[in-house]
Amino acid sequence: MTEIDVRRKVLEANASAARSLKETFGASGTLVVNLISSPGSGKTTLLEATARALKDRFRLGGLDGDIATERDAERLQRAGIPARQILTGGACHLDARQVEKALAEEGSQLAGLDALFIENVGNLICPTSYDLGEDFKVVLLSVVEGDDKPFKYPAIFSRAAFTVVTKCDLLPHVDFDLSAVREQVAALNPSAGFLVVSARSGEGMDAWYSLLEEKIAWKREAPAAALVAP
Amino acid sequence: MHELGLAAEIFRIARETVDARGGGRLESVTVVVGDLAAVEPDLLEFAWKATVAGGLDEGAKLHVDWRPARQLCSSCGEVPERAEGSWLRLCPRCRQPLRVEGGDELEVRTMTFSEGAA
Repeated sequence: MTEIDVRRKVLEANASAARSLKETFGASGTLVVNLISSPGSGKTTLLEATARALKDRFRLGGLDGDIATERDAERLQRAGIPARQILTGGACHLDARQVEKALAEEGSQLAGLDALFIENVGNLICPTSYDLGEDFKVVLLSVVEGDDKPFKYPAIFSRAAFTVVTKCDLLPHVDFDLSAVREQVAALNPSAGFLVVSARSGEGMDAWYSLLEEKIAWKREAPAAALVAP
Repeated sequence: MHELGLAAEIFRIARETVDARGGGRLESVTVVVGDLAAVEPDLLEFAWKATVAGGLDEGAKLHVDWRPARQLCSSCGEVPERAEGSWLRLCPRCRQPLRVEGGDELEVRTMTFSEGAA
């Protein structure tokens, strides 16, 4: 029997694909946003509104991770932006190799964008561990899900650069303590941004669009090399 | 349940390592898992058994070397006893929020194999 010192990261294959994606996105100046939330919290609805509001000024695109159906990609296409579905066939998260493969298959449609939105599989746990070459993660929490979620799913709220509370038009109808959520997020991640929106009523959406415009401009200006993690 | 995907990656790395040394049968693999790596050791061991089942490496053992994160309190210094919670923990001595460092390890550390037995 021979013992070997291995010392290799379990997620090395994902990390290497994510690095290569970061280089590609850095070279094209494409902002990449990884959206993570429970199923039904409004990722696709937020992106539909975003597509309609910003598509005339920016080249936007979407990748939609789901276990089954092409519905989300079709919704984004109807909202006027190129989008491709990634079917995971049961897997609970997207990984960087699936993103690489989808982009390669889609070709020019999703190349050289100003911003690419990756809508992860609806799940607050597993997607947290996989780097998809994004610039930052956004976690969505709809007001109907309850105000205890940041402390119950601390990993994603600690790692997401922005928390977006969605469906705020329903606040009068549910027991959702917005300030409690804000405090939990601040305790877990003091530097995280916090937005409260309703894609349906339009409330708070201007702040979301301004944030994206600012980040798109930043990515365009940033020297590609500086964005690639060492 | 992303442990199944992790088990497949661990198996890939272990097999690659053995094959690079002339081949053989896997005996055991030791993985370092930090307590913030979002991995359940029991589920990982279960997924590992499923991954090696029915193949030449069936019965190869997976050992999980569990690494706690460091807990640092601004008043009490490093606190070794595990506070409740995962990312947000309160110091068990003075109830102030702890700064948590490390614990994100997820690495194939060592392995053993029998040469030429496969």
